[in-house]
Amino acid sequence: MYNHDGHDIFVVDGHMHFWDANPENWKNKYGESWIKCFHAFHSGLSPAEEVWPFNKFCRYGEEVLVNDLFRTGYVDMAILNSTYLYEFYKNGFNSHVQNNVIKAKHPDRFILCGSFDPRDEEAGVEAFRRMVAEYPIQGLKLYTAEWRNGSRGWRLNDPWAYKYLTLAQDKNWASRTSTCTRGPPSTR
Amino acid sequence: MRDAVPIEFPAGYDGSVLLEQLARVLDPELDESILDLGFVRSLRLRFGQAEVALRLPTSWCAVNFAYLMAEDVRRALLSVEGIDRVTVRLGDHCAAAEIEAAVNDGRSFADAFPAEGARSLAALRLTFLRKGFLSRQERLLRDLRDAGCTPTWICALRLGEVSVQDDAIAIRQPGCAPVAGGSAAILQRYLERRVELALDCSPEAPLIIDLEGAPFSADRLQAHYEAVRTVRVALEANGSFCQALLSVQRLDAAGPSGHAK
Repeated sequence: MYNHDGHDIFVVDGHMHFWDANPENWKNKYGESWIKCFHAFHSGLSPAEEVWPFNKFCRYGEEVLVNDLFRTGYVDMAILNSTYLYEFYKNGFNSHVQNNVIKAKHPDRFILCGSFDPRDEEAGVEAFRRMVAEYPIQGLKLYTAEWRNGSRGWRLNDPWAYKYLTLAQDKNWASRTSTCTRGPPSTR
Repeated sequence: MRDAVPIEFPAGYDGSVLLEQLARVLDPELDESILDLGFVRSLRLRFGQAEVALRLPTSWCAVNFAYLMAEDVRRALLSVEGIDRVTVRLGDHCAAAEIEAAVNDGRSFADAFPAEGARSLAALRLTFLRKGFLSRQERLLRDLRDAGCTPTWICALRLGEVSVQDDAIAIRQPGCAPVAGGSAAILQRYLERRVELALDCSPEAPLIIDLEGAPFSADRLQAHYEAVRTVRVALEANGSFCQALLSVQRLDAAGPSGHAK
């Protein structure tokens, strides 16, 4: 726990990721340019002495992550998001299945987020139910800019998004930890 | 930045008009010329055909913004006498092929990207012209305040009473000695945008108006100033993200020796 002026402060990292964007996992040029874009943000916005070389940045694995957050860092719990990107990365950028491997080893440290994609429509409902039943999902990360079959993303006002959110509401956790990011990393 | 752009013109061709037109193309959000921002990688003119290669801060810059800039480049150069064809290249942008094919063919964004929805680029362009107006006005207001102008005075000023003298704004009102009121460039940028938005630019028009052309009372000016300040800060924040990405790109272009450790 972080201590400030004699007070213990419980720290939750509200948004974090494991990811694998190593060149071996790139499916195409988008896999390469996507992680390069993030690395450019990292390089451009970080103090020079904190900038990681590109090869280190490509994969943020379990060992480094746990060390950064909990051993040398002062995080008590972290919300672990899932962003799949199967059109860019052979094994995905990360998935709730991969993330759960980390969560299983440190169950009290992570709040695991799954996701849904309204473009899956009815066919995705069963998979969504299964994900929630089989994994300790406590929230959702919605990444509306995920490419799929020629589509460059989706909108939250998609009627199927509403349907999935309704399903999530039944689980009684969505409103607590849902997060929605608009990326790719452009700020627009 | 302009001097660094590789340019290839036919022998004896005066490219100043062409460059002038290109310089008028803005990044809508940063509200700055793409030429000054370093987005123009190269420019070539042969047999009435212009080819412009752009390089945006990242290959993941939003598709609609990339489209908008590419389209503006094409329009700007087609307006130059003697140029009858313009080809815009977008390098390694994630949607380069689709954007190039559509823009160079004169097709609309809605036509090229039906999945992006029916929202036209014209609406987006107008939104950012208006935000830019407010942001430019905020800078002018700040300058006038720093020069000691009171809200009552600012609200009473007419366009005909402000002019540019050297690098400063000169305020002339009947019966008063001229007052220096801030940066001429800031005034000029504000007035240019006022023209673009077809707002009243006659000498009798108030200097500070809202987007509908209405003047402010002195007691409403403070609330307005705070509102436009948030617009300016938001644009600047997004701009600083882009600048950060651009600075990394320049380092990369400079080679490994120039790279941050």
